[in-house]
Amino acid sequence: MAFLIRRFGFYLAAFIAAATINFFLPRLMPGDPIQIMFSSAGAELSPENLDALKLTFGFVDGPLWQQYLTYLQSIFTGDLGRSIKYFPLPVTSVLGNALIWTVGLMGTATIVSFTLGTFLGVLAAWRRGSVFDIVVSVGAIFATSVPAVVTSLIVLFFFGFTLGWFPTGYAADPSLDPSFSLTYIGSLLYHGILPMLTLCTVLTGGFAVTMRNNMINLLGEDYIVMGRAKGLSDSRVMLWYAARNALLPTVSSLAIAIGTVLGGSLVTEVVFNYPGLGNILYQAILARDYPVIQGQLLIMTVAMLIANFIVDVSYVLLDPRLRGTS
Amino acid sequence: MTQPLLSIKNLTIDYIGENTDFRAVDNVSFDVAAGEIFGLAGESGCGKSTIAFAISRLHKPPALIRSGQILLEGRDVLDLDIQALRSFRWREVAMVFQSAMNSLNPVLRVEAQFYDVLRTHQGMNRKQARERTAEMLRLVDIQPDRMSDYPHQFSGGMRQRIVIAICLALNPKIVVMDEPTTALDVVVQREILQRVNELRKKLGFSVLFITHDLGLMVQVCDRIGIMLEGKLVEQNTAQEIYASPQHDYTKKLWASFPSLHGSKTAEAFAS
Amino acid sequence: MIKVLFTGLTRNRKALIGMIIIAFIVVVALAAPLLTEYNPASRVGRPHQPPSADHWLGTTRIGQDVFSRLIHGAQTSLAVGFGAGLLITVLGTALGIIAGYRGGKTDEVISFFTNMVLVVPNLPLLLVLASFIGQASPLVIAIILGFTSWAWGARVTRAETLSIKHKDFIKSAEMMGEPRWRIMMFEIFPNLISIVGINFIGSVIFAIITEATLEFLGLGDPKTVSWGMMLYNAQKASALSVGAWWDILTPCFALALLGIGLSLLNFAVDEIANPRLRSGNRLNRWTALIRSGDGRL
Repeated sequence: MAFLIRRFGFYLAAFIAAATINFFLPRLMPGDPIQIMFSSAGAELSPENLDALKLTFGFVDGPLWQQYLTYLQSIFTGDLGRSIKYFPLPVTSVLGNALIWTVGLMGTATIVSFTLGTFLGVLAAWRRGSVFDIVVSVGAIFATSVPAVVTSLIVLFFFGFTLGWFPTGYAADPSLDPSFSLTYIGSLLYHGILPMLTLCTVLTGGFAVTMRNNMINLLGEDYIVMGRAKGLSDSRVMLWYAARNALLPTVSSLAIAIGTVLGGSLVTEVVFNYPGLGNILYQAILARDYPVIQGQLLIMTVAMLIANFIVDVSYVLLDPRLRGTS
Repeated sequence: MTQPLLSIKNLTIDYIGENTDFRAVDNVSFDVAAGEIFGLAGESGCGKSTIAFAISRLHKPPALIRSGQILLEGRDVLDLDIQALRSFRWREVAMVFQSAMNSLNPVLRVEAQFYDVLRTHQGMNRKQARERTAEMLRLVDIQPDRMSDYPHQFSGGMRQRIVIAICLALNPKIVVMDEPTTALDVVVQREILQRVNELRKKLGFSVLFITHDLGLMVQVCDRIGIMLEGKLVEQNTAQEIYASPQHDYTKKLWASFPSLHGSKTAEAFAS
Repeated sequence: MIKVLFTGLTRNRKALIGMIIIAFIVVVALAAPLLTEYNPASRVGRPHQPPSADHWLGTTRIGQDVFSRLIHGAQTSLAVGFGAGLLITVLGTALGIIAGYRGGKTDEVISFFTNMVLVVPNLPLLLVLASFIGQASPLVIAIILGFTSWAWGARVTRAETLSIKHKDFIKSAEMMGEPRWRIMMFEIFPNLISIVGINFIGSVIFAIITEATLEFLGLGDPKTVSWGMMLYNAQKASALSVGAWWDILTPCFALALLGIGLSLLNFAVDEIANPRLRSGNRLNRWTALIRSGDGRL
């Protein structure tokens, strides 16, 4: 319990740090911060609307700390302002709609590639020096060192344009209405394959290398030798003695990997014109829609913190030494 | 003499290097009789642990057996195929490892670490395994209701007793103990060795006891072999090794003990 | 330790291939003005021409020579990569060693910030920073990368420092009254050289990838000649849909090649630093001896 409270305190601090960056950045830029923030709106913003936005972002008369508190207050009441490009839509709903797609894509890709990568890493370490190990290790070097942008573009070029096997954009056929029909779900899957394939290619290698190295570092441990000495089957020792223990450091490195997953996912969405956060963000950057750009940092930070929390909790569940005496 | 239980014949083991090999065990032969405690002593790196691992064929690259035989009741362990080897391990030769803190799998309950042995070798179900586990834990003075605890909930000495209980779960013919007490303090060390000795008298298994502590060894062993740089330089009964060491190296080993320890060992031995 | 690292690197096959790839790219980047007569920024041909004898890798939407942009762009990628990589490594190593060695309050403060930076997602943060800066030049990108990405390095360096802090040679240096900064610089740092090496190469890879990503997302300065801007322009010109694959695949393969070269080097350093990960010759000899019946398992 004390552990959880400490973690939550830390998460809160991290979130406020992200908000602080948002608050100070426009004020640190040369020039008028209000002008910078809302310049792209041009004449479309009525004075009343502009005033409301200014209030949300803490541009009030008064000392800096008062402005800061005003800004924090609007954030903690869930008001991230309004998008300028999609005015008058609130930032939360612009990002919220997109978030569903991103979380779906990212979540599935993370689960698939973590499972696959971990399994490949276990087998590669167990058959150290075999052809399988070499293929996995070399494949991982290739997969992890190529930027997600590049992998996305190459996948899109070959499977989308050259071979024409898969669609080159959108989350589903735009002519279909979203529903729980078989056609619509089929279309979703069909459109999701290439972005998924890309993300899994980018991520699997990293998980495989981490797991392989963690396994190799453990293989000399006495309890693994004892597992073999006990005459247990190879798969029992591999999975329940070696892999089960090597999973612990792997899971804790997952917390850091999630940042990479996020970045990769944003880029992949842009390339595949997938309607997630990445795409919204891309449009926002081109239009200098600052409320949206700032809002995504906060939402991404929250997403990252939730992911971290899940990792923390699963780590505790996986390691009996942390569970206390139960 | 009748057929020995374990017979090591001309065993030679190399550590394969990039260009040259390192001879870890050089033409070593010795026998262990049924019910006997045989000690193998020497400095670290003299090859004694390599032999211990080779008996269950647990050695891994770069270690490689170049020649020799390991006979258990006349059957060469080196000839066993994978299936036979798996059923041979633990049922005939069980092993206690050096680090008491680290030889139990930290993420499995103690119960599960008995169960996998009992199921693999004797096809027991959970209920039967639990009964057997309770019986074995009682044998080493650990309360059976703690079988659902994890290893980290036990002290070092208790963990080593649990390992010994797991060792004896299948009634093996010989238990190989590779520096079983180095990680433990002296009191616990003595307690564990006494316990093993009692159990041996009761259950009749042999022990191959490996340590660098010659003083400790003469107290518990029937016969002792002294190893130096991969070679077995002397082997004799414990009394002889203590009272009239033949090889220079054995004498040197004794000389390196403080005299206080020497007289204490002598006392212990006399009693 | 440093010597071990270097002799190890010259013997490791992965390191060798990696260094050849990187050296090749460096040489091409430096020799760029000699290798092509075309100015990378100006219009020198008709738009979207496929590769030909005149334009080895074709032309872009606005008629620039792709090959010229590729080899001039290599300069930018390398400069940003190594510049930002160096900055990230220096910051991370310094903070890690200070936190690990000094301990106490200093450690608490540094560790708190390190952990905080680690949970704020990197790319979204960079997007916010870069978007306020406007059109970020490679130099600006390198600097903001340097100041936002040191946390991972600081964390691993701190952990390593903690593990050697109580070794005898540190204790004896303390007894001799060596000042703390000297102990950190000359006693601790040399012993962390492989972790610093891994951090550096990893940071270079990260910086190159991230620079390209930021530029691809439209945050770069349009006047820059770099692989990221090549991707951005090609994507904006819908190069793939109009069939101008050379326009977009050229920077793709260049980034992939550089990334692979650096990764090979990184894995090699990891293997040298962590002997358990090494296999190499001895395992081959071991297997050969078993196959020939010269030994038994």
